[in-house]
Amino acid sequence: MRVDPPDPVARVRRRASETGSWVERHALTLVAAVTAAVLVVMFYFPVGTVLVEAVVVDGRVTAAPLVDVLTSEFYLVDIFWFTAYQALLSTVASVALGLPGAWVLARFDFPGRETLRSLTILPFVMPSIMVAIGFVATFGRNGTLNAVLGAAGLPRVELLFTLPAIVIAHAFYNAPLVARVTTAAWESVDASAIETARSLGASPTRAFVDVVVPQLLPAIAIGATLTFVFTFASFPIVLALGGFQLATVEVFVYSRIQNLAYAEAAALAAVETVISLGLTYLYLRYEGRQRGDGQGARPQPRRSVWPASWGLREAAARVAIGGYAVVVLAVFVVPIASMVLTSLTAGGEFTLDHYRFLLERQRTGASYQVRPLPAIRNSLLFGGGTLLVAVPMGVVLAVLTTRRFRGRAAVDALTMAPLAVSGLVVGLGLLRGLVFGVEVFGTRLRVTGGLAIVAAHAVGAYPFVTRSVAPLLGNLDSRLVESARSLGATRARALLDIELPLVAAGVVAGAAFAFAISIGEFDSTVVLAEGSTSYTMPVALERYLGRRLGPATAMGCVLLAVTSLSFVVIERFGDRYGGQGGF
Amino acid sequence: MRLSIENVRKAYGDTVALGESGDGDPGGRVDEGSDLGGVTLDVDHGEFFTLVGPSGCGKTTTLRLVAGFDAPTAGTVRFDGRRMDGVPPEGRNVGVVFQNYALFPHLSVAENVAYGLRFADPPGGETREERVGSLLDLVDLPDAGGRDPAELSGGQRQRVALARALAPGPDLLLLDEPMSALDARLRERLRLQIKEIQSELGVTTLYVTHDQEEALAVSDRVAVMSAGAIEQVGVPREIYRRPATRFVAAFVGDNNVFEGTVRSVRTVGDDDGRDAAGDASPESPVETKGVGSGRGGARGDGTRAYAVTVDVDGTAVPLRTRESVPPDGRVTFCVRPERMTVLDAGDGGDGGSGVDAVRPGRDERTGRVDGHDAVTLDATVSNAEFLGDSTRTYLRWNGRELTVRSPDPLSGDVQVGFDGVDAHVIDVESRSEPGSE
Repeated sequence: MRVDPPDPVARVRRRASETGSWVERHALTLVAAVTAAVLVVMFYFPVGTVLVEAVVVDGRVTAAPLVDVLTSEFYLVDIFWFTAYQALLSTVASVALGLPGAWVLARFDFPGRETLRSLTILPFVMPSIMVAIGFVATFGRNGTLNAVLGAAGLPRVELLFTLPAIVIAHAFYNAPLVARVTTAAWESVDASAIETARSLGASPTRAFVDVVVPQLLPAIAIGATLTFVFTFASFPIVLALGGFQLATVEVFVYSRIQNLAYAEAAALAAVETVISLGLTYLYLRYEGRQRGDGQGARPQPRRSVWPASWGLREAAARVAIGGYAVVVLAVFVVPIASMVLTSLTAGGEFTLDHYRFLLERQRTGASYQVRPLPAIRNSLLFGGGTLLVAVPMGVVLAVLTTRRFRGRAAVDALTMAPLAVSGLVVGLGLLRGLVFGVEVFGTRLRVTGGLAIVAAHAVGAYPFVTRSVAPLLGNLDSRLVESARSLGATRARALLDIELPLVAAGVVAGAAFAFAISIGEFDSTVVLAEGSTSYTMPVALERYLGRRLGPATAMGCVLLAVTSLSFVVIERFGDRYGGQGGF
Repeated sequence: MRLSIENVRKAYGDTVALGESGDGDPGGRVDEGSDLGGVTLDVDHGEFFTLVGPSGCGKTTTLRLVAGFDAPTAGTVRFDGRRMDGVPPEGRNVGVVFQNYALFPHLSVAENVAYGLRFADPPGGETREERVGSLLDLVDLPDAGGRDPAELSGGQRQRVALARALAPGPDLLLLDEPMSALDARLRERLRLQIKEIQSELGVTTLYVTHDQEEALAVSDRVAVMSAGAIEQVGVPREIYRRPATRFVAAFVGDNNVFEGTVRSVRTVGDDDGRDAAGDASPESPVETKGVGSGRGGARGDGTRAYAVTVDVDGTAVPLRTRESVPPDGRVTFCVRPERMTVLDAGDGGDGGSGVDAVRPGRDERTGRVDGHDAVTLDATVSNAEFLGDSTRTYLRWNGRELTVRSPDPLSGDVQVGFDGVDAHVIDVESRSEPGSE
């Protein structure tokens, strides 16, 4: 067979692509510039507004609000110290609850193990205000716990508005995270390393201490640090379960905003943001050093939970697992079950009254009252808007962070900063900046609350898209792109033809994350939702919570259904190529 | 297409991957204007040119610079005289085949082969479908078009990768260790197939491998690289028979390298030396390190040869060479194991019966073969490997390690010898400068 050399037409076409259309050559740069602009408008400008308000009062630069905060015993002890204290307790509780989970998931085999492992991602997509409702339904005066105690003839307990309730709720959120990262580390411990230690004379316990534990510690540290960062900035759970008696910084900032004391709120928020950013920076530095081992390890074989022979050792382990299962049931299943149960019962009888109430309130409610349908509609609308903004942004940033260029570390940090800044601060900034209006060249620019809410949600959601997509992109063989380019594709074309189709699963999982986060977002929405027009399901839920637990739980069930759907999508696509994102 | 690489250097930060690293300068700084040497190469139209060397020698770096995946720190790459500075990979019309195939996993085999045709019309007036079909025929996978790359074996995937690279009719084919992931038997079959397709299409080819046997087997010409520099460029026979440097002598095939001081030099007629007579083909002289002057350079003075006696650790070794040797010089030379003759197979052999089978006509008493000078060495067997068709035996002689090939296993104390015309002089060093000793 004879294959002819390339004919002149092909050569001319090549020459044309050689010169290349300028736009195609620079497509990535242009998209990156647009993304940067959006990020500035949606995040850096609003947060900057808050920081400026902390030092500029009535047009004059002053350190007074900051000095007030930093010298007041009330703020330092009652607010900041309490915030750190409850975060510390929550971290300890989360690690204590998460580690046995990692042990069971990594070392034992049982039906549903894979599903259980997947479920550890669920708290991330659960609206925190919904979890708070679940805890109210469980630990409240007429909650499940007291019903059980009452039935057993025991005295009732009052856990609501106490520190333990907050700590347990935080453990609900963060113990699965600790379990998740620790399980991953445990599974990447190479069985050959343990076998080598054993063959050199180490007992099983000694081999565990010498080989396994050192490889678990970094993961535990990562889980604990993340837990501390998250619980330090926790808002809806403390608001719902602690009230203003047990106020963290976030809750107190919120109360200042409600009282229109913006300067004080800004000063508090500025201090909190600096602390959060510092913690996150430390975390990222530590995490960056820990990456990249355990590839290709042969994991240890799992034991069955139902052993073939019952020795003392086996029996003890199974008793421990059984006890742990009861605790897991109490902390994770009971609150959700209580919420569903409460929404379906009144006075011990099965009823759909609470759902009926939602519909009735819809029909007859006054315009100032919180009606359910607009809440659902707004939630879905903002969720869709968030997808439109966060998915392209997250994908573009994932592409940027997986490429090599000067200043990449800085870009990484700047794009991941929204993870460290609380939604409340972003919401406050958007409110004071864009919603109240900005003077640009003599024209007053304003955006509506709805748009601001989408912006706030997108800011909170796109890092999850980036972290779902970036690892997949990073794992792609660079030679795929090089092959495509040597075959004539431009860089942008190779991205569209080769890379994006191969990380589509990550994009879908990221989108589901983004949608779930938007649906459940409370922190900034509660600040930005104007009276009766742009409230969402979580905000409606919180407004019902004060007065009527039944309808609140019914609303919570609707939220549960939506977020569960998102979870299914994430689960279906997120693990496709073996890697869960950065979380 | 003619590929020229002119004085090209590549550094990643402080690490020099290609070109001289600046001896005596520990930082290895890279100055654009400095006169540090780079790599220079010319590949002729239609030539199968191979870069071979150990890992880290800069061969893949060179290929990546030619493909346009990386830019050289200094120097120029030219395609048919056209400077390629700043031309992206998609503008170079090259086909690249990687070791790990790099097939697009989300596209079928046919779609993979057709990918390059999205950006260029198929050559020869074929439609895209016809082109894909003829390429799959060419690589002997006519029915694989509808399959998923994951369903194919390693060798099949590599052939699909080759078809994909060839589909747009590239001016230059770049093969980066294309067979290193395959098992030995398959590798031998596939390299024959690649060579066949290459000469059928007449496409200029730059082939990168660490396997010197593969390099010798398939190439028109070979460049041996080490530590970012080219040690020698030449046709495979020349590389094997006349290594230009110690490195080439040791890297390409097994070799015994000796050095010694000159005792005497005598000019002899050309017909007296095996180099010009017998099985030695008229080859170009050895190209020296770092200089690639292309094939068919000027021949040396073919009418003159020197008979040199070299003192190696007290043993007088007679050599034949065309290089002029100063009377008090220091000489490095090598002898291939298969050119070493076992004179006495020691305790293990059956009375040295294999000796005559190796080199008939040798006078065992004088060690002279066919009237030439020869030398005999008394050595001790230290180790042996049975290779099937022969045995590779490691000997110790005067504290040096020697390797010989023999049909039968050896052991104990043996006598081995070689003929002066079978020794190749690698390096001659004059000792006349003061202080050099």
